[in-house]
Amino acid sequence: MKRNGKIRLIKDGKRLDGRKFDELRRIEMKVGVLKRATGSAYVEWGKNKVLAGVYGPRELHPKYLRDPTKALLRCIYNLAPFSVEERKRPGPDRRSIEISKVTTEALNSVVLVERYPNTAIDVFIEILQADAGTRCAGINAAALALADAGIPMRDLVTACAVGKVDGEIVLDLMKEEDNYGECDMPVAITPRKKEVVLLQMDGKLTRDEFKKAYELAIDGAMRICEIQKNALLSSINVDVKGV
Amino acid sequence: MLRIKNNEFVIPGQLIGSRIICDTNCFYENGKVYSAIQGIARVIGNRVIIIPSSGTYVPKEGDIVIGVVKNIMSRNWVIDINSPYTCILKGEEVARDPLNEDIRKYFVVGDIISGKISRVDEVNNSTISGPRKLENGIVIEVNPKRVPRVVGKKRSMLNLIKEKTKSRILVGQNGRIWINDGNIELTIMAIKRIEKEAQTKGLTDRIAKMLEENYNKN
Repeated sequence: MKRNGKIRLIKDGKRLDGRKFDELRRIEMKVGVLKRATGSAYVEWGKNKVLAGVYGPRELHPKYLRDPTKALLRCIYNLAPFSVEERKRPGPDRRSIEISKVTTEALNSVVLVERYPNTAIDVFIEILQADAGTRCAGINAAALALADAGIPMRDLVTACAVGKVDGEIVLDLMKEEDNYGECDMPVAITPRKKEVVLLQMDGKLTRDEFKKAYELAIDGAMRICEIQKNALLSSINVDVKGV
Repeated sequence: MLRIKNNEFVIPGQLIGSRIICDTNCFYENGKVYSAIQGIARVIGNRVIIIPSSGTYVPKEGDIVIGVVKNIMSRNWVIDINSPYTCILKGEEVARDPLNEDIRKYFVVGDIISGKISRVDEVNNSTISGPRKLENGIVIEVNPKRVPRVVGKKRSMLNLIKEKTKSRILVGQNGRIWINDGNIELTIMAIKRIEKEAQTKGLTDRIAKMLEENYNKN
């Protein structure tokens, strides 16, 4: 696999795990998994395992943060110490704080916060197993958890990452592609109007490559949105036999 | 024009239609109405109501609620009504001269009371009136959005449970239910099952069957 000291990520037109360039990893989503949370969701995306819990609207402490015109939406992204190969020290690090910030901004653009003045809506995203694309999986889980909690939103939020490996634009990077590729670009949109709520890039793309990557990301996100909708739909088909 | 059917499951951002009246759980954009939450949509003529499956309790004028006294101030009580918003019970409601009396002789911290929400301001702080202390019995908490299903159309579900268990049941719109006397365990079992299966069809029959089976057992 190694050639001239560089890892070859694409062989015979296929990626390391056999996927095509526009193929997503296996994704499964479920809502209502945490009994004590107002809303919750669990997402398995490739080897990623992500849990999201929403609490609120609830009383906001400290009082000076209260806003009589709207609720304060706070998202906290956290990598569990056992989620990565080398144990990650518990607690927020700079990367987690950045991801928390961009996730909060992404969700803030859809949640109708004006409906709950003086309160807090807390979203916790816990990564139980990480394998590239965690911030996208986290946003998808958080959007589902918010819907499960009954918090009014303009639309769902769907996120998907694209990137460039070995000169090719590919969808949904996995760990090796993220570490050794040339670019990683997570994108989050509102599926109804395709408005961008998160767009970050780590690497280099030409203008044409960016256009192609962006189109591919939107296409992937729309496919993921269908999975989100099915997860919400199956939450109401409850087992009526047991007590 | 309506874009959805009656009893259709809707998700946030789903188009309901245009020139439709939709009150709470929707929003308007460019003349069209969209759903803001996930739930079941009920169509009544030109009006659409979206029934949520989850959410927190926001006090509404006229609601009967069950609260717990959380704090005593000089002449008011602060009541916890299972909501992120404050609720006050004014001393004048029970005491004739609240400033010079020790109002603790009426209610102390930890007392469970029932009352009616009399006023709600623009940031959802509320006042409660007509308080009655609830002694004995047990208070359970359910999802406040499932309370209408527990009561049923024209109180049909609630009357069904009361008839079979002989319990006294007081349902608070804030998701708290007080139960006393009768077969308390059976009542709790029935209510918890209704909460779990609130959005399924044929629930009334299943609950009637369950109550009948357990009623005959005792």
